[in-house]
Amino acid sequence: MSLSLLIFVVILVILVLMYNSLVSKKNQVENIFASVDATLKKRYDLIPNIVASVKEYLQHEKELLSEITKLRAQANKPNISDEQKIALDAKVSSALGSIMVAVEAYPELKANENIMHLQATLNEIEEQLSAARRAFNQAVTDYNNAIEMVPTNFMASAMAYKRKEVFSIVEQERKYIDVKKLFN
Amino acid sequence: MKSKSELTDFYYKTLFPTLSKLEEKRKHLLYRIFVVGVLLSLVFIILSSFLLQKPDFIVFAIFVYIAIGSFLYKLLVKDYTLEFKQNIIKPLIETISQELSYNCHHHINEHLFKRSDLFAKPDRISGNDYVSGIVKGTKIEFSDIHAEARHKDSKNKESWSTLFRGLFIVAEFNKNFNSKTLVLPDSAQSTFGNLIGGWLQSNNFARDELVRMDDNEFEREFVVYSKDQIEARYILSHSLMKKLLGLKKKSKHPLYVSFVGNHIHIAIDYKKDLFEPSIFYSLLDYNIAMEYVGTLHLALGIIDELKLNEKIWSKL
Repeated sequence: MSLSLLIFVVILVILVLMYNSLVSKKNQVENIFASVDATLKKRYDLIPNIVASVKEYLQHEKELLSEITKLRAQANKPNISDEQKIALDAKVSSALGSIMVAVEAYPELKANENIMHLQATLNEIEEQLSAARRAFNQAVTDYNNAIEMVPTNFMASAMAYKRKEVFSIVEQERKYIDVKKLFN
Repeated sequence: MKSKSELTDFYYKTLFPTLSKLEEKRKHLLYRIFVVGVLLSLVFIILSSFLLQKPDFIVFAIFVYIAIGSFLYKLLVKDYTLEFKQNIIKPLIETISQELSYNCHHHINEHLFKRSDLFAKPDRISGNDYVSGIVKGTKIEFSDIHAEARHKDSKNKESWSTLFRGLFIVAEFNKNFNSKTLVLPDSAQSTFGNLIGGWLQSNNFARDELVRMDDNEFEREFVVYSKDQIEARYILSHSLMKKLLGLKKKSKHPLYVSFVGNHIHIAIDYKKDLFEPSIFYSLLDYNIAMEYVGTLHLALGIIDELKLNEKIWSKL
C-alpha cells in the first residue's frame, strides 16, 4: 500500500518538474524577446537623428531616407506581431547599412562630430542587437529541444506548446557586413 | 608595440653585456649555494647522530633543516634576484612601451583580484613584479599573484592551500556593461562529456546563470556564467571568443577571464612565480630567455590580441 503511494508521489513530482521546466523555458523566450524588442526600439529612436544629420549631403539618396522613415513609422505602430517585428528588423538593418555606406563617400560628412558619435552609438546598438538575437536563438533552441525531446514532448503536446522560430540572419544583412568591410 | 622577435633581439643583443655580468654572478651564486648546502647538511648529520636515540626528533630535525635551508637560500638569492629584475626585466618592459612602469616589490591591488570573483575569497595574497601603464592608448596593469586559503583541521592546526599562482592582468575593456560575466576553464564537459557535464554546470549553485555560447570550440574549452544572458553575448562576440581561444593556446596554461566594472580581468595559472632569475640554468639559454620575453609579450600583447584598443562603440 505505502509502496504504490510512494511511486505515485514520485511520478507526480516528476510531472510537476516537467511542467514547470516547460513553462520556464517558454517564459525565458518571451523575456529575451522583450529585450530584443527594447533594443530594436533604441535603434528606431536613433533614425530621425541620423536622417536629419545626413539629409543635406545625401541628396541622391532621398528615396533611401524616406524608406527608412517609413519603416520606422511602421515599427512604431502599437499592435504588430512578433513575426512582423522580425521582418521589419531585417529591412531596417539593410537600409541603415546602405545609408552608412553612402556616408563613407562624403569625407566632410564622415568627419562630422555628430555623425561620428551617431556611428559609434549605432555600432553599439547593432552589437547589442546581435547579442540579443543570439540570446533569443539560444532560448528558442532550449524551448524547441524541450518540446521535441522525450519525455517532455508528451507533456508539451498536452499543453499545446508549439515550436518557435529562431532569428535567422537575412541574406541582406550579411551583405551589409561585407560592404562595410570593403569600404574600410 | 614591439614584436616577440624584436624583444628577443633586444634581450640577446642590447642586454647581452648585462646578461654576461649576471651570468658570472649566477655561477658564483651557484657555488655559494653548493658550499652552504654541503655545510648545512654536514652540521645536521652530525647533530642528528646525537639524536638517533630519539626517532621523533629526527622528523623535527628534518623540518628545521628544510626551514633553515630555505631561509639561507632566499638570503643568498636576494641580491642576484633584485639585480636581475632591475637590469633585465625592467629594460625589457620599458622597451615594449615608454608609458609602462615596473615595481618588483608590489603586486596588483587585492581588491581587484577579489572583485574578479574568479576564485574563492583568499585569506592571504602575495605577489611581485607589478607592471602598470598604457599600451596603445589602453590602461593595463598586471603582476604575479599567489592567493592562498587557510584551513584549520580538527586538531586546530593551520594549513594553507594555493587557490591561484600565476599572472593576473587587469585592463580597460572597450565596451560598457553593467553585470558580471565569468569565463572559466571547462573541466566538467571535458571530464564527463556534454550531457552530464552540461547538467553539472547548469546546477552549479555557487555561480550565476549558465550561458551556453554559440561557438562549439569555445563551449568545449570554457564555461560561461553571467547574471545577464544578453550582456554576456554582447561582451563575448564571435570574434572575441575566437581571440580568447587563441590566447589560451598561446599561454598553454589554464585561462580564467572575468568581466567586471568595465574592466577585463585575466588570470593565467602558471602554478609558479614568474620573472624570477634562473639559478641553475644559464640566462642565455633560449628556453629560459623565452620564458621572460614570451610571458611579457603575452601579458602586454593582450591589448593587441583582444583588440581592446578598438574603440568603435560609444565608450570612446
